[in-house]
Amino acid sequence: MVDEGTGLIAIGAGLAVGLTGLGAGMAEKDVGAAAVGAITEDPSIFGKAMIFMVLPETIVIFGLVIAIMAIFVMGG
Amino acid sequence: MRFSRRNGKKGNYAYTVARVKAKKSLLMANEDYDKMLMMTVPEISRYISEAGYDKEMADLAGRLSGLNLLEHATYMNMAKVFSSILKSSTGELYDMVSAYLDKWDIWNLKVILRGKSYNLDAESIREDLVPAGRLDTESLDRLVALDIDEDIISEFGRMAHVKIPADVIAAYKASGNLGEIEDFLDKAHYERLIQSINPASRPSNIFRNYVKEEVDLKNFETILKLKAEGIHGDQVMKYMISGGKRIDDKLLTHLANAEVMESVMSEVSQLEFGEEIKDLLESKDIRGAVSRLKRFEMQKAKKFSHLYPLSVIPVIDYMINKENEVRNIRAIARGTQSGLDRETIKGLLVVQ
Repeated sequence: MVDEGTGLIAIGAGLAVGLTGLGAGMAEKDVGAAAVGAITEDPSIFGKAMIFMVLPETIVIFGLVIAIMAIFVMGG
Repeated sequence: MRFSRRNGKKGNYAYTVARVKAKKSLLMANEDYDKMLMMTVPEISRYISEAGYDKEMADLAGRLSGLNLLEHATYMNMAKVFSSILKSSTGELYDMVSAYLDKWDIWNLKVILRGKSYNLDAESIREDLVPAGRLDTESLDRLVALDIDEDIISEFGRMAHVKIPADVIAAYKASGNLGEIEDFLDKAHYERLIQSINPASRPSNIFRNYVKEEVDLKNFETILKLKAEGIHGDQVMKYMISGGKRIDDKLLTHLANAEVMESVMSEVSQLEFGEEIKDLLESKDIRGAVSRLKRFEMQKAKKFSHLYPLSVIPVIDYMINKENEVRNIRAIARGTQSGLDRETIKGLLVVQ
């Protein structure tokens, strides 16, 4: 049986990853569409477009860091 | 026309805008026009082949040559680019782009009807078509294959969802003057275009205002041209398109009825574009004034294209610029072919 505090930490960690994932997805929707459009016109910019495409992923990394901190620092 | 096919959905602005921005970077710059002004027609053909028109030039080189090749290749390239934009857009963006490109469907109908009235063969008519609108080459071929004008008009109406009233067709049949149908289609195009733009969002509203201002400029241009021919009053009003932004019906009537331009100069100078062309109107340079108005229109389009990057505006801005590029190349080639001096040709170009 886990105590109430540990449960809340787990929910918080889940929200941190889930919500940042949602945010990154929303940002990547337009960036990705624009990147594909730009690559269609000029395939040589694939590398640059890829970098722009993954930039919003950093938000998820922040969320992941918060989640890890919540579980191991606060929970530990 | 009906715009229900993909209505209701938001458009894929990011994808389409990224594509048109990439295409826009390949358009010709002012220096390119300066270089072309120094060239002969074959040199211009070679130059544009290196600037993105290579495929069309190669495709048509077997059948056409010289100025004919250049004119057809530029139009074919523009048609290809516009239909690729139309095909790649969805939702409300598709609705707006297709309404904007309807003018090319109307252009093609005019070419077919005119060609038929001069008894041109199907091949010659087909060569002059610009399939840049919603009707593709196959649909246009079906129209060209028809022999009777009424059949062409009704088939076009069915394909493009446009209803040409019976009285317009009757007036055409009675007078044999294609102008009746052409005027109706031009007016209907602008009215439908304005209707198709939902002014709810700020960028769509800017586009709507732009179209309304274009109507103003078109009307003003028609008035100037008719005045130069000495035509006034109701005869002028017949050609006016309703729905303009600054020139309302009252001012339109006033401008149309004025015997000489000087008497309406005070009203013209109050219009946004009035100051731009004041000096040219005073010196009665109608062609120069029309060219200046086009430049004014393009500058406006350029100004608002940076305001809303994820909207219909950059797409329309690109199409205006592409059309202008084609117009400029053709003007340079035609001017060079007919031996006009460089300064005169330069005056005919619309550059920013």
